[in-house]
Amino acid sequence: MSITKLYILALYLVAILCSILFIVKEHYNIAILLILGNAWPGYKLAESLMRKNED
Amino acid sequence: MIDEQIFRRFNHTIAACFVIYFLFPTEILGLHRSYFIIIFWLLVVAIETARLTKGIKILGMRDYEKERIASFVWFASGSCLLLGLYEMGFFPQSLVIATIVMAAYTDPVIGEATKEWGDKNGIICGLACSFIIYQFIVGNLIYSIIGSIVAVISERPKIKWFDDDLAMQIVPMIILVILNWLELLPDLVKDGVIIGGGI
Repeated sequence: MSITKLYILALYLVAILCSILFIVKEHYNIAILLILGNAWPGYKLAESLMRKNED
Repeated sequence: MIDEQIFRRFNHTIAACFVIYFLFPTEILGLHRSYFIIIFWLLVVAIETARLTKGIKILGMRDYEKERIASFVWFASGSCLLLGLYEMGFFPQSLVIATIVMAAYTDPVIGEATKEWGDKNGIICGLACSFIIYQFIVGNLIYSIIGSIVAVISERPKIKWFDDDLAMQIVPMIILVILNWLELLPDLVKDGVIIGGGI
């Protein structure tokens, strides 16, 4: 696995972990913002990685 | 190939996670958590210095960033400055959280909206995005209106030595805090403290 893919995986983990921690601490407004804000670029990036694999 | 534009956007939005700092315990390994702001900033500067001096290519960098400070350094510097000034008691917590999240999301939103629908709609989307974030976190209409307008204005000038990633954090924050000090704005809910203690 390339360094870039590992880095991207780390970014996903950071986003998920931070969102979970804010949910656990009952700061739902911040957790929702973290999830919503990162969902679209995260999804598009995953899509672009998948497209590469299909090629 | 990874879509570099999307990769750049994701790197930008993920920066909103800087606010996890407020969940850190006050002391980590016997050091006050504020020392970790300085350590983190020095690490970012070290990476940037290595990139500029050794010509290391990092995915997602713009062409013009080859020979000048990259936007991730400007953003990290802005966030570290906000967190540091919060620890010194100058900035209220809710405004710091809202401003970091707002800067992480609004810049990419303006960029994408401008690309899709033109400059005018880019500004409208930027205003809407920053207003919603301020309202969601700070919960005060006046702060949200002023914060969002100042944020979008500070994104506009393209200055080589003062990146919009830094300006979008520093300028709205300073304006809001000054107006608050001058008592031209209402008091923040719970004095701006929304996260009581760390993990």
